[in-house]
Amino acid sequence: MQKLSSVDELKNFRRLILDEPEEEKPCLVICAGTGGQASGSNDIIRVVKREILEKNLQEELSLRITGCQGFCEMDPFILVEPELNLYTRLKMEDVPRIIDAVAEGRVVEDLLYRPAGENKPYHCQKDIPFFKKQTRTILGSNQKVDPIRTYDYIRRDGYAALEKVLSNPEPTWIIEEVKRSGLRGRGGAGFPTGKKWELARASGNGATQKYLVCNADEGDPGAYMDRSLLEGNPHAIIEGMLIGGIAIGATKGFIYVRSEYPLAIKHTLIALRQLREMGLLGKNILGTGIDFEIEIVRGAGAFVCGEETALIRSIEGLMGEPRQRPPYPIQKGIHGKPTVINNVETLANIPVIIREGADEYAKIGVPGNTGTKIFSLVGKIRNTGLVEVPMGITLGEIVYDIGGGGIGGAKIKAVQTGGPSGGCIPASRFDLPVDYDSLTEAGSIMGSGGMIVMDENTCMVDVAKYFMNFLKDESCGKCYTCRKGTQRMYELLDDISKGKGTLAHLDLLEELAIAVKESSMCGLGQTAPNPVLSTLRYFRDEYEEHILQKRCRAFVCKDLVGAPCQSACPLDTEAWRYVAHIARGEYEDAYRVIREANPFPSVCARVCSHPCEDKCRSGTLGGQPIAIRALKRFITDRVDPSVYEPKRISTNGKEMPPVAVVGAGPAGLTAAHYLSLHGYKVTVFEADREPGGMLVSAIPPYRLPHDVLRREIEALIDENISLKCNQVLGRDFSVDSLLGDGFKSVFLAIGAHKSRHLNVEGEDSEGVFPAIDFLKAFNMRNEKLARGRVGVIGGGNSAVDAARVALRQDGVESVTLLYRRTRREMPALSDEVDAAIEEGVKLETLVSPSAIHQEAGRVTAVDFIRNRLGDVDSSGRRRPVPIEGSEFTLPFDTLIVTIGEIPDTDSVSGMGVEVNARGTLAVDEETLSTNRPGVFAGGDVVTGPNTVVEAIAAGKKAAVMIDRYLRGEELKQPVQAKLPEVYVEPVMLDEEELAAAERAEPPAISVEQRTHSFDEVEMPLSVEAATSEARRCLRCDLEFTQPKEEKTSVEVPVSADKGGSA
Amino acid sequence: MINLKINGLDVSVEEGTTILEAARFIGFPIPTLCHNDGLSPYGACRLCLVEIGEPPRSKLVTSCTYPVEEGLIVRTDTERVIRTRKMVIELLLASSPMSKTIQDLASKYDVHQQRFKQEFEECIMCGLCTRMCEEQMMAKAIGFRGRGQNRSIGTPFDITSEECRRCGACMYICPICMARCQGPQEESPLCNACLNLSPPCVETYGQKMCYMDPCVACELAGPYRKDKQRKEKEESAPVAR
Repeated sequence: MQKLSSVDELKNFRRLILDEPEEEKPCLVICAGTGGQASGSNDIIRVVKREILEKNLQEELSLRITGCQGFCEMDPFILVEPELNLYTRLKMEDVPRIIDAVAEGRVVEDLLYRPAGENKPYHCQKDIPFFKKQTRTILGSNQKVDPIRTYDYIRRDGYAALEKVLSNPEPTWIIEEVKRSGLRGRGGAGFPTGKKWELARASGNGATQKYLVCNADEGDPGAYMDRSLLEGNPHAIIEGMLIGGIAIGATKGFIYVRSEYPLAIKHTLIALRQLREMGLLGKNILGTGIDFEIEIVRGAGAFVCGEETALIRSIEGLMGEPRQRPPYPIQKGIHGKPTVINNVETLANIPVIIREGADEYAKIGVPGNTGTKIFSLVGKIRNTGLVEVPMGITLGEIVYDIGGGGIGGAKIKAVQTGGPSGGCIPASRFDLPVDYDSLTEAGSIMGSGGMIVMDENTCMVDVAKYFMNFLKDESCGKCYTCRKGTQRMYELLDDISKGKGTLAHLDLLEELAIAVKESSMCGLGQTAPNPVLSTLRYFRDEYEEHILQKRCRAFVCKDLVGAPCQSACPLDTEAWRYVAHIARGEYEDAYRVIREANPFPSVCARVCSHPCEDKCRSGTLGGQPIAIRALKRFITDRVDPSVYEPKRISTNGKEMPPVAVVGAGPAGLTAAHYLSLHGYKVTVFEADREPGGMLVSAIPPYRLPHDVLRREIEALIDENISLKCNQVLGRDFSVDSLLGDGFKSVFLAIGAHKSRHLNVEGEDSEGVFPAIDFLKAFNMRNEKLARGRVGVIGGGNSAVDAARVALRQDGVESVTLLYRRTRREMPALSDEVDAAIEEGVKLETLVSPSAIHQEAGRVTAVDFIRNRLGDVDSSGRRRPVPIEGSEFTLPFDTLIVTIGEIPDTDSVSGMGVEVNARGTLAVDEETLSTNRPGVFAGGDVVTGPNTVVEAIAAGKKAAVMIDRYLRGEELKQPVQAKLPEVYVEPVMLDEEELAAAERAEPPAISVEQRTHSFDEVEMPLSVEAATSEARRCLRCDLEFTQPKEEKTSVEVPVSADKGGSA
Repeated sequence: MINLKINGLDVSVEEGTTILEAARFIGFPIPTLCHNDGLSPYGACRLCLVEIGEPPRSKLVTSCTYPVEEGLIVRTDTERVIRTRKMVIELLLASSPMSKTIQDLASKYDVHQQRFKQEFEECIMCGLCTRMCEEQMMAKAIGFRGRGQNRSIGTPFDITSEECRRCGACMYICPICMARCQGPQEESPLCNACLNLSPPCVETYGQKMCYMDPCVACELAGPYRKDKQRKEKEESAPVAR
């Protein structure tokens, strides 16, 4: 490297490099930052090099190996300049195709980046949503620069700022420029950098030694911006340090970097060596008389050493622990000399400010918060990586537009900014602009820029506990409140997460957190309670749920969840247990387990929304969940219900009081059944002509054959239950008349049968039906109302049911399902939608009806307007926004509207039972009691349209509550976490079986057969399929049920065929 | 001279004085555990908190480490100070209930109970001993090791230090030091250590000299009998881990 001896020589040298013409041959850019290398970019680089040599393409192609470019989710990738084609997630065998294509000027379409679930590839990196909204002033250079080549940096205007400063090394203008730029410290606290420099300049009057430190002790879990900057473009930071050194009059600089960052250290050392060779570092730089030397100090990995006073002690060679400020480091720093400590990213901004000018720089961002900020976007987000955004952008834009939202459609709950010292900001506040002040106001901090995204599968108590666990180990321990406070907060959180918490824990936690925040010595302790305080502020309901209901809604806290399948089931069905029995071939035992928890096993085996499968660990850990519902079907089809004899509770000859149940749907019948087992005489009143409620009226027979349903209902009606059909509440009887007739308690389970209106012109035309009326007409009276071209509006299960029923009716030409959002947002079960499409239902998404045309009173056509997806609403889904001018008309002869049902509570409200604003009955959620003593309500009439399993659960709960009420017991009783209790010996799988295991899908009858009949579509699993499916179960229960004395014998395998009783 | 206001009183003190010194000078009591006039301020125990500045921008700082500033407004007894101090005492009580010093503090500040899991720690890491050793005895024989909850005081690698002259100053200055009194023993109501002025710790610490004053802590510590706690601690230890 040429030694430069004056500023003019530097000027000429830079000119020389800048004047070189731009290379015309395409360049392959490969990210080889730590993230890229971990994803295999070293292999890609090796293959690229070999290919270029083998094919003799040295003259046609160039290759640039860079540091991290930010799109870490897609590593390893190759970016082809100048077109900026981005080939992502490459394997070694893809490389030759790309090399050939680039050499010939082609594009390899199938390897180009495309977002998950989309088919259209992006041809230019700049058009990709991840990059489009970013302003990559700092990070952008990483793509252009090979970190070990000074040439590359100079070529990108590097050292232009240094040249400017050396030509006029008067500190005043430099400091003034930085002050005017409005740059604030990027380490997190946001102290104005210019002001800090000014104070340091004035401190000590220039006579004594001063120091400048670059703080690269980046220890936040999930944050790696500083690492990537040092790895990818060390010269920018060194240039910033040189300028800073000149500005404050320091002659010595330190880069304090964690020794966990070997690549960053290596690249920085190379850069420093090159600079010394060039004469840009050391004594008398370029003959200007300015001395500046930079030394690298490797941190030993203590988190607290990122705190400036601790960092100073660490550089001095002492134990890294903070001391009280004042005096501030700018007054008394390293060895008592004035010291300025700047973050890596702050220093990386300096050359840009000096080069472009403060005014130009301040144009980015918002007043008071200028420039850009780099965030490392990690956690439950689709596009993990580094993003650089202008200050003032909203959190929502970062998370949804750049980050691409949640993984697999999961609803995002919060983001945690600022690492362990930061706080969680809930999704409801994603309109918050990202700047120092707003984040502090919201209870978090900007921090160094870690941004951890959390979705519905993240437990906020667990998050707080995680960070507290980190901090109690990383607190230096010098000051008592930080050391003990973090440890005590961890203990309290641990108790809560284990179900041992009380409400007093919460108060104490909050009190302690505030005390620690106020009384700790350094930034670590003062911000350590933030994860606790912010989660308490925004997610107190989750804490209370852990304490009062012993429930973790994210299924994270092990001691509350037990086996997720059981915990997810509203009925508390021990799914793990019957699956285990199936694996062992003990089918009758399996049936007993199922029936014990659920009076409608055959019904649920067909139509349950299976929340157990959604939470199954086999699925949440990345594989496919166990087909629990299909296994239940396998058992209920195979085992005679008589193997289970319901347990009757002895009344000791006592006459139990009569109870009235209104509504013979799943909720009402379940309540009646369990009350009858307790000896109560129950009378069930049903408005329709047969019992079953929605099960019989709304669910089509191809999903739930009527004879299966009837058999199950008949089995429940015993001598204690009398059923009265065609009895309508409000017409034939009232709550008062029931209580007057001697019933001691009443359970209202009348369901939700009233359809909501579209509020569209022409809705009253003939041929327009609410889905529930359409389905009821067919299911109960066999009336086929659909004909010609049928349109079904809606995206829920009843919409799909209506569509599939219509398709099976005579005289129907076509069925189109029209939904206002996309397939991804449809609430209907995905399998059902697939089946409907298979059968020939057309799916039209992103459309909303605007008017219904009629001719002679009958519907003829419907006007629609197309939507696009807008911002994310409170349900976590993107809101449909109409596109103006996109109106179109579709001809329809029948229109089925399924936008939801509401309970018909008009008559009930007149009986003194409180109805809330949503039109449902107001009950205490814990006890199901209404405002009238002795009157309980549950099922759809309380929740609005809901799943079958929830209705059964409500019936079960009502039976318990009514029993407690009639015995005069307290209705609210402490809740216990439901953990697996029974030990079922596991079966052993060999490696081969384990590798081959795949989710068993139940067989279905052929599509032709389906469209012309109402035969049941889904068929049970075969014995082989069911057995291998059940053997696949991870048996989460064993963690809780393992018998202690048998712990040693577990290793002895017991194969399934040996059987044996549990 | 620096002029400042403490609890509304105008005070004028020399530059370099700490708030604690200034406040004590004019007679406002501020409790401390890790402070000693002969040693450099450390700021570990957080008991000497005072509120500086005007609300809403006021903040809590440790008075022992904060040098006076011109025009500074200090209040030593605000609700915020007391509330936080009580929590510090509660934390101390929860971890080192055997110390008479801490028990006295608790009574003084009306702290009647502690709501955490009871621990029995013999050290609050106030650093008086290490500073005593370094600054007054010029020995630097002991120091802090580890961080967070693994922080402890000792000699390097736990090897008896050649620097240590067994002067016993570390024990003399310890406000908590459980080596001072073992509390009532199983066989007798008193350890007798206080009476014969040869404390049991001498057995443990060999030839160290001890400047201990007789104490009555064991009488007060009735319900917290050390032998009993040890047993309980051992029993509960695996659960805590």
